[in-house]
Amino acid sequence: MIAVDHLTKRFGRFTAVDDVSFHVRMGEVFAFLGPNGSGKTTTLKSMVGLCIPTSGRVIINGQDVQKCPKEARGFVSYLPQRVVFPENLTAREVMRFYGRIRKLTSEHADEILARAHFDGFADRTVSEFSGGMIQRLGLAVLSLPDAPILLLDEPTANLDPQGVKRFREFVIAQKQEGKTIVFSTHLLDEARQLADRVGIFVGGRLVALESIQDLRSTLVVEGTIEDLYLHYVEEYEREKE
Amino acid sequence: MDMRSVLHIARQELTVNIRNKWTIIFAIIFGLLVVSIAYVGMMVEGFSGMQSFTRTSASILNLVLYIVPLVALTMGTLSFTGDRGAAELLYSQPVSRTEVLLGKLIGVFLSLAISTLLGFVLSGGIIFLQTGSQGIVSYGLFVALTLGLSLTFLSLAALVSVASGRKSKAFGLSLFVWFFFVLFYDLLTLGGTLLFRGRPANTFLFVSLFGNPVDMVRVASLIILDDVTIFGASGAALLRFLGGSTLGVVLLVGGLTAWIILPLRISRRVLERQDI
Repeated sequence: MIAVDHLTKRFGRFTAVDDVSFHVRMGEVFAFLGPNGSGKTTTLKSMVGLCIPTSGRVIINGQDVQKCPKEARGFVSYLPQRVVFPENLTAREVMRFYGRIRKLTSEHADEILARAHFDGFADRTVSEFSGGMIQRLGLAVLSLPDAPILLLDEPTANLDPQGVKRFREFVIAQKQEGKTIVFSTHLLDEARQLADRVGIFVGGRLVALESIQDLRSTLVVEGTIEDLYLHYVEEYEREKE
Repeated sequence: MDMRSVLHIARQELTVNIRNKWTIIFAIIFGLLVVSIAYVGMMVEGFSGMQSFTRTSASILNLVLYIVPLVALTMGTLSFTGDRGAAELLYSQPVSRTEVLLGKLIGVFLSLAISTLLGFVLSGGIIFLQTGSQGIVSYGLFVALTLGLSLTFLSLAALVSVASGRKSKAFGLSLFVWFFFVLFYDLLTLGGTLLFRGRPANTFLFVSLFGNPVDMVRVASLIILDDVTIFGASGAALLRFLGGSTLGVVLLVGGLTAWIILPLRISRRVLERQDI
């Protein structure tokens, strides 16, 4: 479903993503795990065509993201790390706009908004919303097109515990609907709870690709998940030296 | 290119901009200025009441040449630099970057056009009721040139924003663009004429006209308002150089169109190769 093939992205002399390759299968929940600046966001942005790779390619459902960006993006719904909507638009206007872009009816947009529990708030402007409501609106926009692939960049980074819980419920529901989900996080526990497979990023490189079962069995030897992560970082640092 | 996507983005941009307090403030200030200039212009000369369409256009020409580029650059930069999170969400949709660029440009232009037209229509209505319809066609053409100037500087705002990346840098560069075309360019061309003598100096001056959209709108407006002759011999020479009034306006409008299309094409090329 998603094939990332020798993806490299450089910003000047800095290599943000270094020869990363992996596949994500249909219906799989895949987590990018790594600290800030490890290349997770750049990889995700390259997958949706926001970043132009220095080399390598990303194939989404058989479409090359660089060669056919519009077609490839038709299969994807992406939520950036910091969701922002124009403050003077209402939730309904935001939803209907993204609906029109996706060639969906206003009724469908309204229905998704109602499902996101926006009753009573649909005609209020974004400026009146709390951070949690903006995140809910973001998730509503994400699920609006019924795209088979969902890409989420650090979706719980700025959320309170209630928001985190809501996001987890959202991922579980989407997974049950058969969606392929890729999300980035630096929270080891989050990856373990939600993902089928985990890609561990260190210094722009994908240093490990593990299924959750393998990760758990490795943990028996390595100790906690934090220990395991530090083990990969140390290994990477040694290799670099 | 999917024109429907362009129109959806334009509609969204128009709604956002029309509700923006700065657009409303600009509409009110511009409307008040245009109406007061139409009224006060006559009083200064000892008459009471309104000026005709032609005199009003001539009186507000300088106001338009200063304010419209500044507002277009500011509003354009605000729209094209936007917020990173909002831009990421929009560009991740199944739309091309050209569609986003064009949609935003049309949306901001329409919002500026509405707020500018509000002032023009208001004062035009009052002038029509007070003095009749004489000069109304020239007034209409002058309004069209003002909108052309607005679109030109929006196109330049797009280029500046795309080239700058950061909002603060884009605003700084936009101010420089305004300063360069509105204030500095004429000094530069006048200085340039010192390098030539006689006919080549005139040719240099006339050709340099096409290097500045503000000057092109100024001259085209004066030709439309039959006022280019106030420059005496130079005005007559300019008209000769441009091939007469009608051809002159056509040439200047053509030049202005190039100033709209070229920056937009360059912005598109830069944007296509840029990370969002």
